[in-house]
Amino acid sequence: MQRYWFGDITDGGECIPFSRETNELIERCRSLEPEMDNFVPVEPETAVECGVFSSREDYIAELRKVTAALAREKISEYYSSGDIELIQMVRMLNELDHVINLLVERGMEWYIVKNPDFSRKYKNMNQKKVIGMMRRQKRSGLSSIAAEIDALSDKRTRLMKEISGKAVEVAPNCSEIVGGLVAARLISSVGGLRELAFLPASAIQVTGAESALFTHLKGGTPSPKHGIIFQHRRVHNADKAVRGKVARVVAGKLGIAARIDYFRGEADVEFLKKAQERIDAVFGGAGGDVE
Amino acid sequence: MIRIGSVLVSEGKGGVYGEKMLKGYRVWDPYRSKFAALARIYDGIDLESGWDVLYLGAANGTTVSHFADYVRTVYAVEFAPRPMQDLIEVSDRRKNIVPIMADATRPVEYAAFVSEVDMIYQDVAQPNQAEIAVSNLPFLKKGGTLVLMLKTRSVDVCETPESVFEDSKTIIESSGLEIEFSCWLKPYHKDHACIVCRHV
Repeated sequence: MQRYWFGDITDGGECIPFSRETNELIERCRSLEPEMDNFVPVEPETAVECGVFSSREDYIAELRKVTAALAREKISEYYSSGDIELIQMVRMLNELDHVINLLVERGMEWYIVKNPDFSRKYKNMNQKKVIGMMRRQKRSGLSSIAAEIDALSDKRTRLMKEISGKAVEVAPNCSEIVGGLVAARLISSVGGLRELAFLPASAIQVTGAESALFTHLKGGTPSPKHGIIFQHRRVHNADKAVRGKVARVVAGKLGIAARIDYFRGEADVEFLKKAQERIDAVFGGAGGDVE
Repeated sequence: MIRIGSVLVSEGKGGVYGEKMLKGYRVWDPYRSKFAALARIYDGIDLESGWDVLYLGAANGTTVSHFADYVRTVYAVEFAPRPMQDLIEVSDRRKNIVPIMADATRPVEYAAFVSEVDMIYQDVAQPNQAEIAVSNLPFLKKGGTLVLMLKTRSVDVCETPESVFEDSKTIIESSGLEIEFSCWLKPYHKDHACIVCRHV
């Protein structure tokens, strides 16, 4: 028997139409996989002769309705998985950081031209201070641009909080171990929660340190100890002597956490408790090797 | 195929992707579309008005929209959600495009929708491009044309593009297809080759 989207045709050549209702056809085609041995592609003319459609045009019009509806369904299914939006949010955050830095740097150059006796040397100038300084340039385009940069920074902070919140939803276990933002960055960097769950811990450990990793692999340089996970406080606050070890343990636990997140989708209290203890032990310098 | 001077064009309503218009025709840019590049290089390729085409790797529907200007029906298969959104939009305006969201490496996903076609046009970024082409042969009429756009860098970045080209040709020939023409798409597309074959 040959199975087609509008109905089946038996080996004897008899046509069994399924339905002419678009919704029913969509329902049928959602999981329709015809037998591929001895497969014969459908002829629109056969379907017309069969009496389901009045003409070839009618056939194509209905077919387009069905396939387009199926495609729309698949698209929204894909976007509904949550981590897709998270990835876009993280990329927007990175882009915002990039833009804000560029603008501040350029504004600084402008400021220096207007204030020839100013120098940044021996001053502890964080970004907020610099922006404030620029805003005080009255009657100048610089001041209003600085105000815009300031507003952009606020939006960046808000986005960051939003990302943390979303990460807790999408990947509760990973977020518990390294915090929402770092978890989100990891997911974004590898391309999705599924991808993260299928990654070995050693790869998670150096994700974000690709250039160091590849110079290492080509020979000569020492291997990187940590990539994105360095941003987690327990990694960057660890003593230099145990930092690599902490990174390895954190990555190991993250690997497990990502799998729980992907396959189960909810926080595992028992696992988290053990994982935290284990990481803290190494962080304090007491731990040995990963068990 | 319609040419104005040496410029390849197609008939139909413009403005699909911001393409240039020439005397009321849509300009088909060889630097954007690999098929247009092929038509520049090889005179023997044609799209006839009565044809049905199976298009694997339809992407955003740029080349698909030109195909639809020439032929009767285009079955456009695309796997990725993001370009599929654009493809659906294109197919909304051109009634002879059938947009199918499926994996070209698994013909079973779209077998129930596709009729026997006069041409298979394949432009997918997969390592096993030649094998994919062969596995789609059940849809191709005897005497039909298969156009394989070979992205050599997607097959194997470590191999030289030349050896990938030769290997792919061997796979195609051993499947019983007859290679009619093959070439590199220089200078329009880097490291892209094209194999035109006939189903005998």
